[in-house]
Amino acid sequence: MMGKIIAFHSYKGGTGKTLLSINLAATYARKGKNVCLLDLDFRAPSLQARFKAEGSGYWLNDYLNGVCEIKKVLIDLSHLFSGNGNGKFLVGLANPSTEAIREMTAKDRKWEMRALGRLLSLRNSLLNDMHLDYLIFDTSPGLQYSSINAIVAADVALVVTSLDTSDIKGTQRMTSELYDLFEKKTGIVVNKVLADILSSTAGKENFSEHFHNTHNLPVLDTIPCFCDVLRAGGTCIFAEEKPEHAFAKTVERIAQKIEKL
Amino acid sequence: MVTLYKSLQGKPIRVLERIADSLNQLNEKVDVLIELQKHSRGGIAGESLTDVLDVMTLLSLPDHLRKTAITLCNLGQATAEEIAEQTTRARAVESGYLNQLVLMGYLKKERRGRKAYFYVEKEDTGEK
Repeated sequence: MMGKIIAFHSYKGGTGKTLLSINLAATYARKGKNVCLLDLDFRAPSLQARFKAEGSGYWLNDYLNGVCEIKKVLIDLSHLFSGNGNGKFLVGLANPSTEAIREMTAKDRKWEMRALGRLLSLRNSLLNDMHLDYLIFDTSPGLQYSSINAIVAADVALVVTSLDTSDIKGTQRMTSELYDLFEKKTGIVVNKVLADILSSTAGKENFSEHFHNTHNLPVLDTIPCFCDVLRAGGTCIFAEEKPEHAFAKTVERIAQKIEKL
Repeated sequence: MVTLYKSLQGKPIRVLERIADSLNQLNEKVDVLIELQKHSRGGIAGESLTDVLDVMTLLSLPDHLRKTAITLCNLGQATAEEIAEQTTRARAVESGYLNQLVLMGYLKKERRGRKAYFYVEKEDTGEK
């Protein structure tokens, strides 16, 4: 099987891209797949804090700047997974220093063009040469250069949205005016839905259909608001530590549906 | 004439292939000339002919050119034929689009032997 590149994106911030991308990557790793998760949110890097990783001495910023090869950036966190038969779990971090963030926001179009070329060449270096099964991009919200580059380089784009009206409207515009142009396989994930909306199966189906009609895109899942997830504050990888939790189960369903997009 | 005929004896297919190749090359050159003429009428001749093919530019391209441009971005460098294989459009069509993108300053073109290779930027092709 050829490896797959999945990009998580959203119109607004705080919709749960990072949480979902970490847990999706963990779900794949537990199934024995080799995965690599890249933090492409250069404006608000978060994977470094989530994994409390030391860093490899090189950041994704360096790779995109053409300073080093991608292999120098990747950190092997496979040891986080306890079971047998797990796949590799590699992570590439964005530099969280203020100086680095400032520098990334000041890049010109030519740089962004080269960055796109470097993202595109990851298919060769990571999926073909290193035989990884999945490459997952966690991106910045909204219409950022780095995010659109990531979407162009990906096979599948997953848009995470909340039920906030501005989020729904913005997501709709973004998918119809941007995603369609790039002809990407796209799926919507509705996150942080209040439990009472989802309390019945019929209600849940109605809801998905309504969303499907307004977006004209498949809704992969609707995820309720989990207090446990909020309480963990991003420190718990549910897919690994609490695989029986409803949130982990939802991510597993999403993983299955991605294959059918 | 007779000597030419003699020297070609036994290899008519290769001769036809050569003629077809030459015609193709001519076609491409004519495409370029036509485009150049269009542009000079528009009054932008003489302006710098290099521009940057970033994602925002990709977005602003008309659909048919965007498809060609994205395919080339993915391949790094390619001939019109290689692009046509991916887009499932005719080689001649892709050749026209590629030349148009060259004229717009987004792509570069290089002839190697009989083949014309298109690329976005030299640096990102080949070695990676």
